[in-house]
Amino acid sequence: MFELKKFRKKSPWILHFNAGGCNGCDIEILACLAPKYDIERFGMINTGNPKQSDILLITGPVTKRTRERLVEVYNQMPEPKVVVCCGSCASTGGIFRGMYNIEGGVDQFIPVDVYVAGCACRPEQIIDGVVVALGILEEKTKEIEKTIKLANKPVVEEDGQVNRRNMPAELTYETTV
Amino acid sequence: MKQQFEIPVGAQHISLLEPLHFKLTTENETIVDADANLYYVHRGIENACVTKFKYRQVPLVVGRVCGLCSVSHGTAAAQVIEKLTKVEIPLRAKYLRMLVIELDRIHSHLLCLAHVAENSGFEALFMQTMRDREYSMELLESVCGNRVQYDYSIVGGVNRDLRPDVAADIKTKLALLKPRVQALHEVFETNWSLSLKNKGVGAISKELAMKLNAVGPLARAAGVPIDVRNETEDLLPWKELGFEMILDTAGDVYARNMVRIKELYVAFRIIDNILNGLPEGDIANISKALPEGEAIVRVEAPRGELMHYARGNKTNVLERLKIKAPTFSNVGAMVEIFKGNQYASAPAIIASYDPCLSCTAR
Repeated sequence: MFELKKFRKKSPWILHFNAGGCNGCDIEILACLAPKYDIERFGMINTGNPKQSDILLITGPVTKRTRERLVEVYNQMPEPKVVVCCGSCASTGGIFRGMYNIEGGVDQFIPVDVYVAGCACRPEQIIDGVVVALGILEEKTKEIEKTIKLANKPVVEEDGQVNRRNMPAELTYETTV
Repeated sequence: MKQQFEIPVGAQHISLLEPLHFKLTTENETIVDADANLYYVHRGIENACVTKFKYRQVPLVVGRVCGLCSVSHGTAAAQVIEKLTKVEIPLRAKYLRMLVIELDRIHSHLLCLAHVAENSGFEALFMQTMRDREYSMELLESVCGNRVQYDYSIVGGVNRDLRPDVAADIKTKLALLKPRVQALHEVFETNWSLSLKNKGVGAISKELAMKLNAVGPLARAAGVPIDVRNETEDLLPWKELGFEMILDTAGDVYARNMVRIKELYVAFRIIDNILNGLPEGDIANISKALPEGEAIVRVEAPRGELMHYARGNKTNVLERLKIKAPTFSNVGAMVEIFKGNQYASAPAIIASYDPCLSCTAR
């Protein structure tokens, strides 16, 4: 078997989605991929396919027309996945907050793990945010590797019959050694 | 009739920076029809500028219309409000505005060239172009204080003076950048495998470009002599600083690359002239007049003619602000150019338009 949980951290693929921003953070993400900042030294490649990516980089405030696409792209990504908001307007709405076609920050629609501040956020900040996201990705990988067990044991009645009728549907998560 | 297929490009696509959607109808490999669907990023900035923000804040807000040409938007808005408030700005502020607009043009054109190279399948050229682009980003940071959103033009002038050490830094870095741009010019001009993807691809004739009101490098590559820097002299004195219009005749992706690269040389010359002849004086002329009347200002953004219209009624808030972005004029030509090309060329053609949808949709 491949040890996926070991190598996922070494080559996280990123998916870039513009939810309606001004292109400023987008060109800084492009500058991250370029030789000066070179995000590829962390094994990151910009992919266009949500089904192959681990980290979702979102720029811009969510507009009324991109919100469905945003949730669709997020749902298509396989677990474990990390969401990074690049820029002030992706985090909170920023200067666009309160405009009539703006829904607000990304975290109103999908769970966000890392917020990168700045208008526009610098490439150093993006790299910092993505490296923080790598730690979260590792934690989430461990989370889904845990074994699960039923919380309560079944009751054995007097005649040896196993009774599961009153079993509450609870699970416990145990960490693998 | 052969069987036709509809292939969508976008709204989220690897070769696109921003959400735009082209619906391409193909017969075998040839595109026979195209449809554009652009307004994913409409935010309502024009409405907010006349309700939420005071007129002094407007140049900083409309800078957020587009991150690539934010200084063009900010300067146009500042100029139109200066016309309404009847403020004459110092000559030094005009020169500094032109300096930042030209530095912005260098970074924007290099980004577009890099994007064309990447979408043509030439990853190494993308990396080289982006490496050289970092010089212009460093210069913009040292002049304005930020890499992307500059907030440089304010109503009445600019908000930062050019320090002598920064001016010396610009000269040394441009001296490093010029030979690199010449090397890129040679690759874009003579590389055989790139020419297969660029020469004769996405061509538009001069008549069609004029008929569809194309502006910017897209029109100039087809031979249409349209450039705001050539037409207006009252607000920014372009011609006395060595502006020269670059024209090509072919109108294809290759011609657009050549026009953009040659405009870089013009930008270098203008920047050199600005630094050598920078007049002394104030950088801003702040007055307390309130905007009144209506005015139109045109600025040549990296993508073409940008027009701002504003109307004031002697209050702190403008009555109307209208932005006409260059990409909006080009949409008709953009859709038309696709027809007759191979589907595999579509990403390179889209990149060669240098589309800016956040300008168009606002």
